[in-house]
Amino acid sequence: MRCKSLLVVIVLFAALLASVPAALAQTDCKTIVPPSPWGPNDETGATNRVTPAVTKAAAAEIKDGKVIVMSYPLTDGIPLFGTRFSKTILTATTLAPGAALGENQLTYMEDTWLSQSHVGTHLDGMGHIGRKDCYFNQIAMGKFITQNNMTKLGLEHLKSFATRGVLVDMVKVYQQAGKFKGNAVCKKPCLEKGTVITKADIEAGLKMYNVTLREGDIVIIHTGWGNLFEQYPAQNAVYNSGEPGIGKEAGKWLVSQKIVAVGSDTWGVEVIPGEDPKEAFIVHNILITDAGIHIIENVRTDLMAAEAEQTKRSTFFFSMTVPKAVGLTGNFVGIEGIR
Amino acid sequence: MGRASQAPALREGRRRFFLWINLVWFVLLPWLAGAALVAVAQERRYTVAFANLTEEPGTTLEGTGFTGREVRESFVLAVRRYPIDLVFYDNQRDPRKALANVEDAVGRKVDLYIQYLDDAATNVKVGQRLRGAGVSVLAINTPVPDAPLYTIDNRVAGRIAGEALSEYGARNWRGLPTIGVVLGNLRSHEYRVPERAQGASEGLKRHLPTIKIIPVETHGNPAQVGPLLAKVLASHPSTKILVAAMDDASALAAKSALESAGRLPDGAIVGQGVDRSVHGGMNDRKEIDPSNRGSIVVGSVAFYLDRYGYEVLPLAMRMLRGETVAPRTVTAHRLITAANVFIEYPPYDMN
Repeated sequence: MRCKSLLVVIVLFAALLASVPAALAQTDCKTIVPPSPWGPNDETGATNRVTPAVTKAAAAEIKDGKVIVMSYPLTDGIPLFGTRFSKTILTATTLAPGAALGENQLTYMEDTWLSQSHVGTHLDGMGHIGRKDCYFNQIAMGKFITQNNMTKLGLEHLKSFATRGVLVDMVKVYQQAGKFKGNAVCKKPCLEKGTVITKADIEAGLKMYNVTLREGDIVIIHTGWGNLFEQYPAQNAVYNSGEPGIGKEAGKWLVSQKIVAVGSDTWGVEVIPGEDPKEAFIVHNILITDAGIHIIENVRTDLMAAEAEQTKRSTFFFSMTVPKAVGLTGNFVGIEGIR
Repeated sequence: MGRASQAPALREGRRRFFLWINLVWFVLLPWLAGAALVAVAQERRYTVAFANLTEEPGTTLEGTGFTGREVRESFVLAVRRYPIDLVFYDNQRDPRKALANVEDAVGRKVDLYIQYLDDAATNVKVGQRLRGAGVSVLAINTPVPDAPLYTIDNRVAGRIAGEALSEYGARNWRGLPTIGVVLGNLRSHEYRVPERAQGASEGLKRHLPTIKIIPVETHGNPAQVGPLLAKVLASHPSTKILVAAMDDASALAAKSALESAGRLPDGAIVGQGVDRSVHGGMNDRKEIDPSNRGSIVVGSVAFYLDRYGYEVLPLAMRMLRGETVAPRTVTAHRLITAANVFIEYPPYDMN
């Protein structure tokens, strides 16, 4: 009897000990990352805001069916960091003499695409950025990664991005405020790298076109810096050397506006060099890790900025699909603004 | 309707009217005053002059690998946080130029002048002229009399390096014959390198009190490190060597010398400065890098010249707001290794 009691105590103690690491990991993430407003099992984040009502309201932005391209080409020579690459291999064997198929002489071609996912115009998913091993919705990612992908927070959990896009023309804001400082390498006006875009700047940009942000919007910020991307490969080094972008205050304010995503014609959306040299991509943490709000990088914004200036309207239907790529942290995307 | 019957009601009406007026003023005045104060507080911008030591390309400062361009850039970035308009000057390490810069700044009616010049005598004149014009002064690395000073501490920096090496030797080579080498532009009083060397020697003795320390004078020429260190290595076979290099270029040259002599397993090196020659981004693969933890360059002591703006402008703001500033603020030197380099210097070459 005494032996049995001892055994029970030992088993209970062992169970307690075994539970400690998991409990610690959970406790740590709860102190580091806020919970998702969509519940403890949420892996979707801000696209939860794209409800049928939001999409229907956004559809009202389509007035004449004009489609405006908002992605850059994805090809060799575009600005990438270090060893990043996006390469294709074409399979075209049936084009060889005598290799066509059947009486109808069918030929075909296809590609092998070897690429990192965060290249070109691309979306940062929920699993892209964390604090230590804690990611969106307090998920301790260390337990949910394999050699190939993540088993939580992958792109497959995202809902639609069919919502209203709002362009904020920061070049015009800075020009009108008399504080524009450009970069001589840009062939069109661009803000200089290191320019901190503030909440007041964004508000001024919204006011310029009489727009009030709505829950579920996607905010696209035009800085002009994307002109350096367009000049690839000539200005890749300048493009990557830094960028104008939103600062911490603006990031927090955008979170408070309950948007779905924020994009820009820069490679990181946030200001680089950052406001505090000891912080790394802190606005990514504020938006993605803490609020589940996506970042869309290298968005082509100049055409929409020109359209907005011409029509005095900066809103549009945001059309972007993201592949249901299981366990991916992000992916290149095609974006069109429909008016 | 006689006047007599109207009078009390009229008086009551007037009383109420004035009561309301008073009430409105009572509420409105503080609000207006507050709003005005906020507006003034928001609108108040300061003009601050920063006179850099020198911005000559390729000229390094303070016996480190940093240049004046990096110091200036740190001010450009740091000022984004403050209601300050910066006016830049280049002292060109020239007393006459420095005094001319001061005259120009006085003419511009700057609110505060940040002086970076390694000439104590000229700094006395600079201080007198600015005080006479009612301009506050803040000095970097070389004092201006009666002005707050922001400065590096060479002795502390040297000691941090020496202690790191001493600990390394005591931990890995206990009982084995070990010598210390203090290497660099040791007689450069201009940059107070002798203080740095003294601190390194003190630090080396922390855990190895009987260690023999050999000074190796390179006269500031890293190309001399190889041949000079080769002699030391040749005369100390089967001996472990702890190298306190006075700058990062010398640290890298010392590693090459040990490699050439086939003595890498016998050495450990710590540099001074943490400039871009020893650390970089995710794609740079520099010597101090998380993926290079096995390097015999154990680390380097940070001097943060590339963050002077972030360190000095907060002091300037406090002075401008009339707050008390300590007469001497010292750089928080620390050892940067492969384990903390990306925490201390977060890379941003990725997206």
